[in-house]
Amino acid sequence: MFRAGGVAAVAAGAGAFGGVAVADTGPFAHGVASGDPLPGGVVLWTRVTPVADAVPGSGAGPEVRVRWEMALDEGFRNVVARGAVPTGPARDHTVKVDVTGLAPGTWYWYRFHLGGAASPAGRTRTAPAGDAPVDRLRFGVVSCSNLQAGHFSAYRHLARREDLDGVLHLGDYLYEYAPGEYQARDVVVRPHDPPIEMTTLAHYRRRHAQYKADPDLRALHARVPFVVTWDDHESANDAWSGGAQNHTEGAEGRWLDRRAAAQRAYAEWMPVRYEPGGRLYRRFTFGALAELSMLDLRTYRSRQAAHPLDPAIHDPDRTITGDAQLRWLRDGLVTSGAQWKLVGNPVMIAPVRFPSTLSTEELRALSRLTGPLTGVPYNVDQWDGYTADRRELFAALRDHGVRDTVFLTGDIHSGWAADLPYDPLTYPLNRNSVGTELVCTSVTSDNLDDILRVPPRTVSLGVEAAVRVANPHVRYLDFDSHGFSVLEVAPSRVQMDWFALADRTDPGSAARHTASFTVRAGTQRAVRTWEPLR
Amino acid sequence: MSGVSRRHFLRLTAGTGAAVVLSSATPAALAEGGPRDTRVYVLVVDGCRPDEIGPVLTPHLHRLRESGTNFPAARSLPVMETIPNHVMMMSGLRPDRSGVPANSVYDPGEGAVRTLDRPSDLRAATLLDRLRAAGHVTGSVLSKEYLYGIFGERASVRWEPFPIVPVSGHAPDLATTDALIAMVHRADPALVFVNLGDVDRAGHTDLTGTTLRAARTAALWSTDLQVGRFVADLKRTGRWASSVLLVLADHAMDWSLPHRVVSLAGRLAADPALTGRVVVAQNGGADLLTFTGPEAERAAAVARMRSIAAGTEGVLSVHAPAELRLGPEAGDLVAYCRAGWRFTDPDVWSNPIPGNHGHPATEPIPFFVAGGHPAVRAGATSSAPARTVDVAPTVGALFGLPEPAGGYDGTARLDALVGV
Repeated sequence: MFRAGGVAAVAAGAGAFGGVAVADTGPFAHGVASGDPLPGGVVLWTRVTPVADAVPGSGAGPEVRVRWEMALDEGFRNVVARGAVPTGPARDHTVKVDVTGLAPGTWYWYRFHLGGAASPAGRTRTAPAGDAPVDRLRFGVVSCSNLQAGHFSAYRHLARREDLDGVLHLGDYLYEYAPGEYQARDVVVRPHDPPIEMTTLAHYRRRHAQYKADPDLRALHARVPFVVTWDDHESANDAWSGGAQNHTEGAEGRWLDRRAAAQRAYAEWMPVRYEPGGRLYRRFTFGALAELSMLDLRTYRSRQAAHPLDPAIHDPDRTITGDAQLRWLRDGLVTSGAQWKLVGNPVMIAPVRFPSTLSTEELRALSRLTGPLTGVPYNVDQWDGYTADRRELFAALRDHGVRDTVFLTGDIHSGWAADLPYDPLTYPLNRNSVGTELVCTSVTSDNLDDILRVPPRTVSLGVEAAVRVANPHVRYLDFDSHGFSVLEVAPSRVQMDWFALADRTDPGSAARHTASFTVRAGTQRAVRTWEPLR
Repeated sequence: MSGVSRRHFLRLTAGTGAAVVLSSATPAALAEGGPRDTRVYVLVVDGCRPDEIGPVLTPHLHRLRESGTNFPAARSLPVMETIPNHVMMMSGLRPDRSGVPANSVYDPGEGAVRTLDRPSDLRAATLLDRLRAAGHVTGSVLSKEYLYGIFGERASVRWEPFPIVPVSGHAPDLATTDALIAMVHRADPALVFVNLGDVDRAGHTDLTGTTLRAARTAALWSTDLQVGRFVADLKRTGRWASSVLLVLADHAMDWSLPHRVVSLAGRLAADPALTGRVVVAQNGGADLLTFTGPEAERAAAVARMRSIAAGTEGVLSVHAPAELRLGPEAGDLVAYCRAGWRFTDPDVWSNPIPGNHGHPATEPIPFFVAGGHPAVRAGATSSAPARTVDVAPTVGALFGLPEPAGGYDGTARLDALVGV
């Protein structure tokens, strides 16, 4: 989501138009990462800087071969797989290896070598075997990490945990804006590189490189595998299949070229089993316990409705998923052999009607968080703007008696727990919930108190209460906090804990637990619990 | 029921003062039992939805579920009706091997739709007869007349449901529980198969089902009391420590408004190629369609039937019976309705009841193992996809019973058991 602020003050000196310095970290300045764990395999990632001028996005530097190895122990005494892959300027010197033949449910350590230099070691974990009983899974859940708006302390706190099997990044991993276009209230905490809005392949590559140089993000990537999807800011704000709100056709080139550049850089720089032209939506299985369907809600979607009263939001010919992805999602949920059906969902699916009791100022602030509002009930960039797709999906869950579907969502810079009513009008009477939705807040990106320029947990409390009254299926709402969530999946229940940063602009910020909600098996309801995960 | 052989009767007085009559093939089965070994009680709370069990309304069921091993991903199997799922529980076989795909089928031999309530309809062996052949006493306490009909004299000791509520064709859970307790006291079978029918019957007829579910709620509360009474009796009589309870439902329940009905018979009859040549066996949320015309025309006719059914509002999907592991008894096609709908065939007034099952919306069921027996895993939850057909292999494993010829179709849910 986009909220352009006013004129911004650039806090620190903007990086020179030459990318991030790498001299002190050798050829592996951007760290190592892993992702997309399967029972027998995982994707390993790094980026090499073989010579000083092979900076990201430059197209400079030689072809090289990068060796990799994978071991069962941190000391690499028991190496179980190794190999070598070529890379070069054609793929911005990124390295991606899809290692196969691994044992399920196993921790591995991996590292890369270029010449005599070794990368830092990373740790990763394969998924449990397909039909294995699994007692517990824990994931960090994050979204909306705008480097200009703060430090990635959320990643650091997750990296320090010993209990995670992986991290789900639900989109807006990086932002396209130039310094001054979108930051923390009025302060650019860390200016973007390149110091312009990214529109070309070189820009996207450099921006990815800047993010990957962040020490907290590097630490988390090296610690556990990521499962990622993109939302809009990986390309441009409010992207749809034919354009984006933050794209000016012509002046900023052709949208399809810009998107292709964004997707190519994403494929190069992210530890994801995705190549340009392929499909980002995909499914993971974690034994009999859980299945995770990761959605792509930008590539195939129809253009957003012009305004929330536009009858187009109910038009069955408009889509947020595209026909093929909706069929894939629906059929997967209906025939799933796993108990918990998790859906990595970049934008909220719970219907949300904004109350008419809010002040003009509050409504204006909300609209800056959610898109055009003008006093009516929808955020048309979410599933609320594409009700036919949601109706079809919810009907399938209901018609087939699908239980234990949990949507895990980002995008909206706020924490939510909600039931998913098949019919919101009769929900208070019969609790016709077909699933639940748990929404993590932003790592750094602005939310309601930032937009209203008030202290956290003041004005927002009233807004949250009003929203909950108008939407009785919404169980929890925190419009102010930045931070991360931890999700536990167990046979008896799913629980999400929310954690808030003390100060996103402080590189050493503390984090504290703010709320926990559970969904007990078979209930399709989110219920507050006062016991955080231990 | 037909084919009644020599039976031995025993009249007992239940704790509530009611008379209970048990029958058996041999007097020995009604003799006082010896030292107590493993005892398994399969309690079917007919038509119960898993989300209806909770600490306030059904505290006894809730406590049992919390105390043992729960299978929250459990589901009923096609067709989600009472008779086929009870048969799957006791046989461990899918309907294409047992011959029992639905409550109601078209019987070509008789040229009519009828209920599968005859002992000869069930072609497979069940735990009731297999354990009995292995030297155990088995018991059946089935509240519904048609269940008593199809399981016939397979158990060593049977209770014939009485008194029968008119229209519903079942005995109230109070009487059923009286019979269960009396049977345990007197014959102490190694396995008792119990059907409690009130929750289902109240669900079918509950006109407030789409909103208030007043009658249904009352039935849940009262059935839970009966389960609590049985558990208390096991504890009071020192039987708890040797008891394993497998509690489940045969299917769930879904409610529809009067305008959400699908009547396929008329639509099929309106097609000139099908007029008078399609019979519909209605099973609540599932219709079994059979073409009765010449064999040479069957393929084309079935294609037309499929197209008409699939194009009817309220129909969720149409399947060849083999896709659902149903045998030829199911006819040529199975049509499912959507949640919140029901079939009413052959006529629009044939099915006036709001609560129905048989369609996929009614697949989720409670399924948990509890009891004081040391083999019961306490306080556990399993993600395993338990099914009604898993009951026989699970109970069979507790008794060390070998698999039937050709093996089970179900899976022994050993997650629930320790050291088995």
